[in-house]
Amino acid sequence: MDSQTAIDVALKLVAITVAFTVVLLIVAYTVLAERRILGFIQGRLGPNRVGYGGILQPFADLLKFILKEDIVPDKSTRFVYFLAPVVATMAALMTMIVYPFGPEIPIPFTNIVIPLTVARFDISLLYVLGVTSVGVYGIMLAGWSSNNKYSLMGGLRASAQMISYELALGLSLIGVILLAGTLDLAQIVEMQSGWHGARWFIFFHPLGFIIYMIAAIAETNRVPFDLPEAETELVAGFHTEYSAMKFALFFLAEYINMFTVSMLATTLFLGGWNVPFAEDIFGRGTFLFGLVSVLGFLLKIIFFLFLYIWLRGTLPRFRFDQLMNFGWKVLLPFALLSIFITATLIFLFPNL
Amino acid sequence: MLVLLFILFAGMAIGCALAVVAQRNPLYSAISLIGVFISLACLYVMLAAPFIAAVQVIVYAGAIMVLVVFVIMLLNVEEEAHQRPRLKFLLPLAIGLAAVLIAEVAFILVSVQQSPVTAISNGTDVGVTHSIGSALFTRYLLPFEITSILLLMAIVGAMTLARRSALPPNARVVPGAQVLPVTMFRDTGLPTHDDMRAVETDSTDEAARLLGVAELRDQSKRE
Repeated sequence: MDSQTAIDVALKLVAITVAFTVVLLIVAYTVLAERRILGFIQGRLGPNRVGYGGILQPFADLLKFILKEDIVPDKSTRFVYFLAPVVATMAALMTMIVYPFGPEIPIPFTNIVIPLTVARFDISLLYVLGVTSVGVYGIMLAGWSSNNKYSLMGGLRASAQMISYELALGLSLIGVILLAGTLDLAQIVEMQSGWHGARWFIFFHPLGFIIYMIAAIAETNRVPFDLPEAETELVAGFHTEYSAMKFALFFLAEYINMFTVSMLATTLFLGGWNVPFAEDIFGRGTFLFGLVSVLGFLLKIIFFLFLYIWLRGTLPRFRFDQLMNFGWKVLLPFALLSIFITATLIFLFPNL
Repeated sequence: MLVLLFILFAGMAIGCALAVVAQRNPLYSAISLIGVFISLACLYVMLAAPFIAAVQVIVYAGAIMVLVVFVIMLLNVEEEAHQRPRLKFLLPLAIGLAAVLIAEVAFILVSVQQSPVTAISNGTDVGVTHSIGSALFTRYLLPFEITSILLLMAIVGAMTLARRSALPPNARVVPGAQVLPVTMFRDTGLPTHDDMRAVETDSTDEAARLLGVAELRDQSKRE
């Protein structure tokens, strides 16, 4: 290994660490935001004691999770019980490296240009789909290894639900792939930079966007699709027997997954880091342009995260047969229809 | 560096493959198989075939093995008991087949060392999504379509097997409805599978009446 490779590897490691830290911080504050916004929706305050207005609550929660007793059920399958939260969190975090968080940013007064993607390769969209599909094992194994009927039912429900909705999710993305002609997320974002930064794929593929959003909520096991942890039926679902830091890892994985699907929605449908008219005001390739783009990207993600919380505050839960009927008999045909419409559009107007 | 990574992933693949066979618990075998698929995907990436690697993870690790693990969890399979080996005549056959396999591997190793090594240059598009797609839909269209017909056959077969043929079209299964135990039919000479119908009731008595076996039930109660 020569010195150049060593420097490259070190730079990549630094980039990965920075990306993970930023994402984990945002995720921690999503939890706080969710508790405050839910409080607002339900006419109460939410946590507001730690720090100014509750701003340090995530760190207090983390400390609590670390200090709590870690209970392992006596009849559980030890190794798998330990493995499950690790798999869930790892699969959730691994997708972070391919997202383009922004354009290449030149640092002022130097010649350094920082690309805001950790790894860029030909099939990054497939990589995201593959890694997230491995994430289901975390939940399944957790349900099985706990040796608890509620956990098992939760795990089975989760895996059935995630397999079913993965189909609609994958099909809803095909329209975007057809429009972009590539699987590279960075290129997909660059394709959307026309029309002064507002040539977003949502305008060409609106049905696919709606299907993607519904399927993504089901994939992340959030309300109204949170049957794997329906507390009225299953106590706490697959993580009934988990406590302390292991529970926190599942909690973390769920919120990272929320963040990931929001990022994917932004990247594929809402133009990624493209902010309308930013190019005309600041000029492409300047530091301010990069900054505005990153902020725009974050703003779009925050919109989706707010949508998630909003839905949780307002919608009741599906019944399991309704969930399956909806996924297979409504979402899947409509996803195929959206592919058909988009393909026809591309055929009729080749330079769309 | 590349050699180190190759040894790492190949070792992982072989170790997991051994674990698939050696484990007594079927779920552990399934998890090991997932490990095999993932390390194979890593090897594909090293061979400059990222598309195949991603498809390997999505299809095998993400879909097929999920179903396998799902079924194992549903059936709640116990650990295999240590049985005395049956079918002893298979043992020499297995040794023979293993010898053939090892000979094949040895042959490949030798022939690879004899053939000239040409590394893929950075500019080629072998293994890139675009080239795979165009090859699949032009040169290899017929095998591709035949494979899809094969999958269609599998789907139709599964539907035929899963369809409940004896039920009338308006029959429904209702949560909370009573189900008559099959043992009630067993000694009566009534057919036990072809004639089974679903009925919508709240009590066993009513179900028995609707099914026309009320007298039988009264009889079994008296006994």
